[in-house]
Amino acid sequence: MSRVLLVPRRLAAAAVTLALASGAAACGPKSGSAGSDAQPHPGGTLTVLNQNPQNRFDPARLYTSGGGNVPSLVFRTLTTRNRADGAAGTKVVPDLATDTGTPSADATVWTYHLRDGLKFEDGSPITTADIKYGIERSFAPELSGGAPYLRDWLAGAADYQGPYQDKHGLDAIETPDPKTIVFHLDKPEGDFPYLATQTQFAPVPQAKDTGTKYQDHPVSSGPYQVVKNENDGMRLVLQRNPDWTQESDSQRRAYPDTIDVQAGLDPAVINQRLSTGSGADAAAVTTDTDLGPSELAQLAGDGQLASRVGTGHFGYVNYLAFNPKSKPFDNPKVREAIAYAVNRTSVVNAAGGSSLAEAATTYLPDQAAFGHTPYDPFPAGATGNPDKAKELLKEAGYPDGLTITLTHSTSAGTGYGPNLATAVQDGLKAAGITVKLDGLEENKYSQTIHTVSTEPGFFLSGWGADWPSGGPFLAPIFDGRQIVTDGYNFNSAQLDDPSVNSEIDRINKITDHDTAAGHWGALDRQIGAQALTVPLFHPVYKRLYGKDIRNIVISDWTGVLDISQVAVK
Amino acid sequence: MREYLIRRILGMGGVLLALSLIVYAVFYLAPGDPAQLACGLKCSPAQVHQVRAQLGIDDPVHLQYAHFLQGIVTGRDFSTGTGVLHCPAPCLGVSYRTGEQVTGMIVDRLPVTASLALGAMALWLTLGVGTGVLSALRRGRWSERLLTVLTLAGNSVPVFVIALLLLMLFCAQLQWLPFPSYVGLGEDPQQWFWGLLLPWVSLALVESAKYARLTRSSMLETLAEDHIRTFRAYGVGERQLVTRHALRGALTPVIALSAMDLGTMFGSAVLTESLFGLPGLGRLLVYSVNVIDLPVVVGLVMVTGFCVVLANAVADVLYAVADRRVVLS
Amino acid sequence: MAARELLAAEAVTTFPATGTRQVWRRLRTQRAAVAAGTVIVLLLLIAAAAPLLSAIEGQDPTTYHNDLIDSASGGVPVGPFGGVGAEHWLGVEPGTGRDVFARLVHGARVSILVAVGSTVVQVLLGVTVGLAAGLGNRLLDQLISSTTDVMLALPSLVFSIALMAVVPSGFPRPLLLTLVIGLLGWGGTARVVRAQTLTLKELDYVAAARLGGSSPWRIARRELLPSLAAPVITYAALLLPSNVVAEAGLSFLGVGVRPPTSSWGQMLSSATTWFRADPTYILLPAVLLFATVLAFTVLGDRVRIALDPRAASRLRVGVHRSGTGPGSAPPLRSGTPNSKEEA
Repeated sequence: MSRVLLVPRRLAAAAVTLALASGAAACGPKSGSAGSDAQPHPGGTLTVLNQNPQNRFDPARLYTSGGGNVPSLVFRTLTTRNRADGAAGTKVVPDLATDTGTPSADATVWTYHLRDGLKFEDGSPITTADIKYGIERSFAPELSGGAPYLRDWLAGAADYQGPYQDKHGLDAIETPDPKTIVFHLDKPEGDFPYLATQTQFAPVPQAKDTGTKYQDHPVSSGPYQVVKNENDGMRLVLQRNPDWTQESDSQRRAYPDTIDVQAGLDPAVINQRLSTGSGADAAAVTTDTDLGPSELAQLAGDGQLASRVGTGHFGYVNYLAFNPKSKPFDNPKVREAIAYAVNRTSVVNAAGGSSLAEAATTYLPDQAAFGHTPYDPFPAGATGNPDKAKELLKEAGYPDGLTITLTHSTSAGTGYGPNLATAVQDGLKAAGITVKLDGLEENKYSQTIHTVSTEPGFFLSGWGADWPSGGPFLAPIFDGRQIVTDGYNFNSAQLDDPSVNSEIDRINKITDHDTAAGHWGALDRQIGAQALTVPLFHPVYKRLYGKDIRNIVISDWTGVLDISQVAVK
Repeated sequence: MREYLIRRILGMGGVLLALSLIVYAVFYLAPGDPAQLACGLKCSPAQVHQVRAQLGIDDPVHLQYAHFLQGIVTGRDFSTGTGVLHCPAPCLGVSYRTGEQVTGMIVDRLPVTASLALGAMALWLTLGVGTGVLSALRRGRWSERLLTVLTLAGNSVPVFVIALLLLMLFCAQLQWLPFPSYVGLGEDPQQWFWGLLLPWVSLALVESAKYARLTRSSMLETLAEDHIRTFRAYGVGERQLVTRHALRGALTPVIALSAMDLGTMFGSAVLTESLFGLPGLGRLLVYSVNVIDLPVVVGLVMVTGFCVVLANAVADVLYAVADRRVVLS
Repeated sequence: MAARELLAAEAVTTFPATGTRQVWRRLRTQRAAVAAGTVIVLLLLIAAAAPLLSAIEGQDPTTYHNDLIDSASGGVPVGPFGGVGAEHWLGVEPGTGRDVFARLVHGARVSILVAVGSTVVQVLLGVTVGLAAGLGNRLLDQLISSTTDVMLALPSLVFSIALMAVVPSGFPRPLLLTLVIGLLGWGGTARVVRAQTLTLKELDYVAAARLGGSSPWRIARRELLPSLAAPVITYAALLLPSNVVAEAGLSFLGVGVRPPTSSWGQMLSSATTWFRADPTYILLPAVLLFATVLAFTVLGDRVRIALDPRAASRLRVGVHRSGTGPGSAPPLRSGTPNSKEEA
């Protein structure tokens, strides 16, 4: 499993490992040592044991959903995710701003006001100019790494190269006074408040900016400041920021005095440490490592261990992707046959078993915030329907079966690795479909499947949303205008359907999230019937925490326990 | 001797040059775009283009290589955006991912790998030579065979299996040891020792079989020599013969082999470093290969290559010295 | 692997060729050699007959059995010892329910093929390069020795990862593994052979052939190769086990055989996550790997003794060393080339 740690995750969105979690089991009072009360108290040191280093710790370079878990302790943003259990945690709430933003009638202009009493770690006041500067520097090629939305959405920002080369700055962002900031967009974006949770919206004082060296000591606006950052985030020590006040922050609780992030660990070691829980590990959590088979097998007979598992759901789908431009996948009947033939039980087992994955027939994750609408256009049951698949193949002109190639990544531990590929291969065998596997090294895989000219006909893929909404889930994959022919392309079906495109535009104008969600769900159902993808499963997060950990909050936005809420005393 | 040294140093320079060329060539052929990886997969082609220009990788590859060589001799300047980062000679460039100086990254991690490798060497020497002596003393008996089988067992199990077994047994099950983590020797010597104990043991178990065999047969070789026969004829005890005379003869090849293994360990203890979460050079190398961080990879390969070549030279000199002694006697 | 030549050199003293038949006769009288040989033959037979063996069991190595594993517990096999029973002799693989016996015997094919194949590549390349360096002029020697240094200095594990990415994915994986391990690991053999050649070159009968005007190629073939056989075979017996383990290491890094093919290395690396939940699964490939390494090591030892009976008597009795024979050149402990030039 250490391959996981040696290999970077493919999708930045997934690397941020977020999460949410089931309410009941997770939030009750924690069983500490006998006699201790369940109330959270300030103080102590929280240890975070992770596989992935918290690298490039610069708000311009971080790719987060909702501001991230550790980053959100240091970087406050205009808005942030609601720190609440379950579905309530998918809401966006104000952070530095007084509200989640005031849109113009067509959602192309968004206005925010800062709340009072906001200070940096050096005591200087936070102004909207600092936020504007923070956004502008994220356009500098020296500080690449963030999400592409700002460039796509802000008016006239597509070719901006950041304040280092262009001192004039971005006209799309206005700061009429130190407490007001106005964003002008190219097109209507009802989801703008969700984008404003990303760390690019954190204030950066221009006088303290040191370019690529800023990551060594970014200026904190949150409850903690960086006191140690070793080997690019392998070890990160955060301590209380005296200039942050609880009154100025409605979301973060910040109970511990110190947060010690130890990363670059082997997953098996993380789980052993958490389950053993000796010394400082009693007050430890992980934000990126699920239970291993050893611990899963132990849970049934070990109530103490089972009480220390946080379960969560992050909006993600693993699926089989087709390239309908290539034979035989241009024939919808072939794609449907595969959708019928796939054995989701094998697939779920390959993903860690039924505790860590839920079989999926919908592309959208099983959450209201995304607009999930249950549907199953090719009902195949848990283990597939080979007879129906054979019938369809016959109709498609392949009465004697079919031989196809499935492209996958060679790195295990991703949702596109060899284990999943062989599970699919074995399942399709029953329907007379012979699958040859083409495993590519991670970078090669990523480049191959995302380049239109080299895109394979049939491959493993996955998608996670940058915030809990149907838009960032559906648009990049199915919007015909997002097909990129000279770079990385995510619309793998190369679908350019005017009715889908106009529907996406129409929903983007809706600023009421719940209304929009319903429309996204309907659109998902409409696209799903075309069998452009075969949804396989939605992952479930199950993560251990130490026995001294209290105040567990796991939102459906991130799926993992929120470090800003945890107490160790 | 001087001519030898000069030739050796020139040869070393040639080897390092060749290593850097090979790495550049392989990465030129390998798929994946470092700019796309640094920027993020969702970056637009225009933005990737900007990043490529900023990293200097839109130049032809031979020009990039020339810049790299020039940096080693004269140093280079890089933009941080807000200012200039001066990278003094010998400059190995800056990371594509973070803009950090490669030399600095290597210096940060060197103590970890050095601690790991040196400690492991001490242990495998103790374990290997000890076993070797014992089996030389008990040659032909069943206890020697048992020792051989035991050391071979260590040698035939991949290090990742040994490492995880040790962790499970001593840290999780028995809880005799803390879970390994690296604490600097200067920071807290005691924690440094306990944190590295299991990594040392894992490596030593894998390596010691070789040393046991080497010690044993070198000793037997010496024991068969004429002067030992003479000693024996004079009634010198077997134990004394073995420990005083034969062992001394065996030490040269053992130390020479150790020097070479030590050199190799600087770039190759990848699995051990990963499993025990040690932020060493091997880890950085694998990570940098995966994210196509070419300057870091080249820098690391040259530094670890330097260690190997240096160790080989040390081994050779040791032999030369030993040979001369043989001739003199 | 880099410094292994020292071991080989330690194991070998120079002596003229011994007849094959003689060696064979001596080997057959050694119980340990016979035992080790039997184990190796057995392993080869298992590998060759893998499809037959799994057919007798009534299983194949790739079929999933979802009903034999407990999905909610992460996929632990149902039943004791990893699901051992009449249908699945050695149980099933956790996570998939594939038959462990079938995977083990099929895995033997890849593991042994890769190990033997890469050893052959290493030996062939090493001997060729070493001979060329030993017989060539000083410039050629210097050039080759530097190249060998470069090979030894490349971090091979990491380099394998990079190479795997460069080679087209259609290339047969076992062959690629063989080549990668082989091409990155010939440095040691080359050094040993070069050092031996330098010593042998000075011996009377070789010098005579040279003066007699024989071409270097002819000298290499007629005079040197027979004498090199012993050290090379001994050295190969040391390389082989380490190549078996190398395949496991590559599998662990995700650049091993292509699924659904099994190999012992692949099984070991996937078993690491199942240590506690299903210890049987890690035990089986580990035991086989150990048996292979042990058998090849013992056989290598015995072959060395059979090739040099004087050494054998010396090793056994530990006292005698009969006078100075044709092998009286100083024991060539150093496989390192430059010590010679130095002296």
